[in-house]
Amino acid sequence: MSSRPDLVRESSSDQPNGAAPYERGVVEAAIAGACRRIAPLWPLKHFVAVNPFLGFTEQTFHATCATMHRVARVDMLMPRAFYRGELAAGNIEDRDLEAARKAAPGDWQAPATLRDLKAALALDVTDKAEHAAIVATVAEVLDSLAAGDRIASGTAFMTDEISKFCAAYFDEGQSIWRLPGRGLRPYAAWRTAMRYDRNPEVMGVVGFRTLVAGLSGDPVDAITEVIRRLGVPKRAIADYLHQALLDIGGWAAYARYLVWNDELYGRENDTLVQLLTIRVVWGYTLFAQRTDIAFAGAWRRAMEIAALPPLDERLGDDPELCLDLIAHEAYEAAYQRRFLALLAKPAESETRCGPKTVQAAFCIDVRSEIYRRALESVDPSVETVGFAGFFGFPIEYVPIGYRTGGAQCPVLLTPAFTVCEAVGDASRDEDKAILGLRLLRRRAAKAWKSFKTSAVSSFIFVETAGLLFAGKIVSDSLAVTRPVHDPDTDGLDPDVIGRLRPSIESHMVGGRRTGFDARERVAMAEAVLRAMSMTSDFGRLVLMTGHGSTTVNNPHASGLDCGACGGHTGEANARVAAAILNDSGVRVGLRERGIDVPDDTWFLGCLHDTTTDDIRIFDAQNAPASHRTLIAEIRETLARATSLTRLERATLLGIPNDADTQRRVVSRSRDWAQVRPEWGLAGNAAFIAAPRIRTRGIDFGGRAFLHDYDWRSDTDFTVLNLIMTAPMVVASWINLQYYGSTVNNRVFGSGNKVLHNVAGVLGVLEGNAGDLKVGLPWQSVHDGTRFVHEPLRLNVFIEAPLDALNAVIAKNAGVRELVDNRWLHLFAMSDDGHVSKRYRKDFRWDNVDDASVSG
Amino acid sequence: MFSPLVWLIALGPLALVAVACIPTPRSRSSAARVNRRAMSAGFFSLAVALATAVCVVVFGSLRTGTFGIEGIGLGLYLDSLSSAMFCLVSFIGLIVLAYSRNYMDGDPRQDRFTQYLSLTLAAVLLFIVSGNLLQLTLAWIATSLGLHKLLLFYADRPAAAIAARKKFIASRLGDLCLTGAMIFLYKTFGSLDYSVVFSGAGTIRAAGDFVPETIHVVAILLVFAALLKSAQFPTHGWLSEVMETPTPVSALLHAGIINAGGFLILRFSSVVSLSLPSLETLAIVGGFTALFGSVVMLTQTSIKVTLAYSTIAQMGFMMLECGLAAFPAALLHIIAHSLYKAHAFLSSGSVIDIARASWTPSPGGKPHPARQLFAVTGILIVALVLGRLFGASPTEQPGVFALGAVLLLGLIHLVSSGIDERPNVYVVGRTLLSAGTVGIAYFGLQLMMERVFAGSLPATQMLHGPFAVTIVSIVVVSFAVVTFLQGLVPGDGGTPRWQTLYALVSNGFYVNTFANRLVLRLWPPHVTASPATAPPNVGNR
Repeated sequence: MSSRPDLVRESSSDQPNGAAPYERGVVEAAIAGACRRIAPLWPLKHFVAVNPFLGFTEQTFHATCATMHRVARVDMLMPRAFYRGELAAGNIEDRDLEAARKAAPGDWQAPATLRDLKAALALDVTDKAEHAAIVATVAEVLDSLAAGDRIASGTAFMTDEISKFCAAYFDEGQSIWRLPGRGLRPYAAWRTAMRYDRNPEVMGVVGFRTLVAGLSGDPVDAITEVIRRLGVPKRAIADYLHQALLDIGGWAAYARYLVWNDELYGRENDTLVQLLTIRVVWGYTLFAQRTDIAFAGAWRRAMEIAALPPLDERLGDDPELCLDLIAHEAYEAAYQRRFLALLAKPAESETRCGPKTVQAAFCIDVRSEIYRRALESVDPSVETVGFAGFFGFPIEYVPIGYRTGGAQCPVLLTPAFTVCEAVGDASRDEDKAILGLRLLRRRAAKAWKSFKTSAVSSFIFVETAGLLFAGKIVSDSLAVTRPVHDPDTDGLDPDVIGRLRPSIESHMVGGRRTGFDARERVAMAEAVLRAMSMTSDFGRLVLMTGHGSTTVNNPHASGLDCGACGGHTGEANARVAAAILNDSGVRVGLRERGIDVPDDTWFLGCLHDTTTDDIRIFDAQNAPASHRTLIAEIRETLARATSLTRLERATLLGIPNDADTQRRVVSRSRDWAQVRPEWGLAGNAAFIAAPRIRTRGIDFGGRAFLHDYDWRSDTDFTVLNLIMTAPMVVASWINLQYYGSTVNNRVFGSGNKVLHNVAGVLGVLEGNAGDLKVGLPWQSVHDGTRFVHEPLRLNVFIEAPLDALNAVIAKNAGVRELVDNRWLHLFAMSDDGHVSKRYRKDFRWDNVDDASVSG
Repeated sequence: MFSPLVWLIALGPLALVAVACIPTPRSRSSAARVNRRAMSAGFFSLAVALATAVCVVVFGSLRTGTFGIEGIGLGLYLDSLSSAMFCLVSFIGLIVLAYSRNYMDGDPRQDRFTQYLSLTLAAVLLFIVSGNLLQLTLAWIATSLGLHKLLLFYADRPAAAIAARKKFIASRLGDLCLTGAMIFLYKTFGSLDYSVVFSGAGTIRAAGDFVPETIHVVAILLVFAALLKSAQFPTHGWLSEVMETPTPVSALLHAGIINAGGFLILRFSSVVSLSLPSLETLAIVGGFTALFGSVVMLTQTSIKVTLAYSTIAQMGFMMLECGLAAFPAALLHIIAHSLYKAHAFLSSGSVIDIARASWTPSPGGKPHPARQLFAVTGILIVALVLGRLFGASPTEQPGVFALGAVLLLGLIHLVSSGIDERPNVYVVGRTLLSAGTVGIAYFGLQLMMERVFAGSLPATQMLHGPFAVTIVSIVVVSFAVVTFLQGLVPGDGGTPRWQTLYALVSNGFYVNTFANRLVLRLWPPHVTASPATAPPNVGNR
């Protein structure tokens, strides 16, 4: 090994700005700031939508566009050609553009006339504005010296190496020979591993192991030492660290998820800081390689630029960005104009009379909108209701044979109850026998799997069992079989599978209390009914319909399930809700609390399969005999609504409308080669919290979250507060996830699905190596010829008094950030359901211009 | 059977060539059209393959002789070996084409993808049904070029470019070896027609001990061509990077591309088996690659790379079997592994489901200390009793002994996995049942292969000589060491020795890193696009 390169450089790195050495507190604050900017990434087993800009909500949408551009060189708007296309197609009209131009703040230096604006937009951006205060990392300076060739610069190798370590460290079960030292914290484990790992040196990173060993084992000390040696100006430390994290943004996001999870339970977790340290130290080893004049000069210049103050809130410095922002505002304004016109259509007049017989509650998910509309058109007497699909039951659902389960509630909450899966009408002994058998079967299967996947024995596996795959590969191709057994029912006998149900009985399992006692049942029942604005006029049947998807061979399958149920299907929550609401003790308790559920009312837990649009009804055999005919009737009605919904969805899936349509929709859900089994929540653009009567009969094309809400029965506006802090926020997360994956799939999405390679059984890589990917695959937002999702910020419409809305905004800082910083558009509907006001900022509202609506 | 009608068989692969060659305007409907054509051609090819297999069973081998000059030219030669491979490749090819239809939907270059697939498949098929070394060599090169196109389907991916270059270099070296073998064969036998070559080899064998120098040269060149084609150590690196291109390509590799080396050895087994040094080379390189690949596989953390290392290992084992002159076993390995691994790649998105389904709470405690001992004793007793009954002994048939030992090691591993932390009658019973079934299936299948392919492949022969015994001993011992050591890997932490070993193994002995560095130094691909494939149509400034 040659002389230690770090010694050579040390003397040349003088203190920046002649300031005192970096104090620990300053560095810690910068680290915390950088880590906060990373949005979490949930693992694939329960993949939920996350707002990729979560760490930026304290600044405006527009300033974030500038920050992203400056710090990360990342675009957050569509390419200009997209907006030109919309203009040419007439989707954006001149008046939208003109309105956006006029509305632009003075410092954006918007063109003086519409003509000038259009002329400016006609040109593509040729030279990017040289931003002040760009902070370049070592990796970036190396990249720019290598003319953008990340392979030649070594930064691609760095990302691969860190990613390889992370996959080994966080591995949930892919590797059989696990990374030694997984019990240590990540930085310590990495330092230990790097004592023995010669891979960087084989690649030509001289003295790598010595350099790593030479830095402190304490993360903050190590980071401080590196930025001191690099001479990063104090102002730019947070930006520098943020930019460094973006090189391994996927793993950083996964680490942020671990942090998030611990914070929910009030625990500290520094995984992300540890990961950041690994990245910073790695970057330093590359820095230490370069003692040449070209690099030294480039580095000095980079640090000088980095020392300048950033001007993200003053967008005028980048007129090209401002032009794109105006185009984007016009694009959204055009959509709002069309949407307001749609909403202004006289809703169906309320001609229904007499007692309702059937009510059906669905998740607010945009996919339910199509189904609800179909159901109402098939049988106008059915009343549908929209509510968050976990039906207010934050449960941890423990399947048979498991000790713990997944949290089936929005990721903003922690589960308050534990519910175990049980076999219906089975005795304790039978229950125990079934559980025991499942475990034994799994252990036997494990021995076989070990035979299949171990060194040496795998050769014998292939020679004896390999030929059987001739049949398997045919039956999988024909979608007769599933490539692997459904994990939810694996190891259980078919007759048992049909009898599985969540058990609400309260008892102790493995030292934990599960189920609900009598008092909790009444309290939960009251809460859910009030939150659904469903306190009187009950139908004879109430369907509580959760949703889930059916896909095979799809790593992102859980992303198509219910987000409100934490990336699981809503089956357990719906069945628990129905079971509790049917409890006779609960009915009595509810009556005492002023909610009179008639004895003639029966709740049914159901599951809407969003891929096939089938609805499954659970526990119908428990319903009283008097309801049997009604249930038979509703089954028929649902079947008709299902085929209607499929027809509507088939169009978007590109399935021709013929006799075969229904079958094709279903076969997609079983096709192991299908990369677009369904469109998920693509297209989502609006969120409406109002009584259904305001929207009934309007075709939202599966693009609106519909939440039932009647402020008149919400005396202290607790329900409004709940809606704006939970469902609205979750909807906005989903909306911004789709937004990010559409505008810049490379950064905010997970890229090309046909290259996906599941790493550590928790996330996907794109191809052989590189960083973990976040967000949605390109195939989920694009059909090959056009984007199926339109990148629009969420338009929220709430029917409630302005004072009440303002009060909720004032009370919740998170909500205020979303609305004040323009991460969503908030509209208020007046008493007659007319959209009358739009929120500007700081509790001020503008009148919605009727003229523009009617146009 | 010798008839001009045999030429009709070529229509199968040629239909696929036609799919690739009909020019199509670029549009969405064109992709659908190309897919339809490719599916029809795939079905047609499979039908031809099945019909051929039936004819071979009924009439014996089918030959056209050589259409060309002086024994150099084109020809078809279908015996039980090539018709079995013809069926296998057409079958997997059709599955891959069908899979790609939906999988690649929406890719703006889907039509090209299907065309490259068809072309590559056609080249493999022409390679397999070939009856003349010239055709074989041309098809061999064409396969490699077709695969090169597929590897670079997303040409803006730097890692794809590096992988393709590594493969390109290995392939061209392989081409040189094969061309050399062709020239020397022609010198020896005066013809490139299989019938002439095979009967020539038969004459030499019949003559007894003397094997001409040129035969050794030919055999060695064939062996090197095969090793280079089948990603044997140290040229395996590109295979673990094939995931830079869509999943169906990884599956297609198992349709006679990655195992083409094995087929080449089997096809010329009558020649190769004349040369003891060639067989020994195969056994050494194959045996090492098998162990290397299967140990590295244990440490990999992503599904597709794990599968790729598994393929490297399995190809090594196939080469080892060839080296031990267990040719029918090697063919069984090719067929069984292709079916298994094509399925494994196509279903690699299901790994989350598998992980969820195989989760078990730890029964607590440590694995039974004597589990290995139980397994070893039990299996050895059964093996000795059976061995006595059938009268096998290690010194007489070292090759058979080596493979038998690997079988026993596999069974020992299976049985000892069944004896887990809290041994249970049900689990152990099921595992023993599986082990019994595996044992019976193994011998049954081996016997079947010997019988069915007796006409095309020399029966498993006796390796002889002290060197052979040494090789076999090393193979048995090292396989045994790996089998038992993998059970000893510490759960966490570990001594520096384990840490060093882990670093070495998880990085694949640093061979691939070194290869990457060499390629970057000597032949750098200048790809400056975004590191991730910007999905088509997404142009961000």
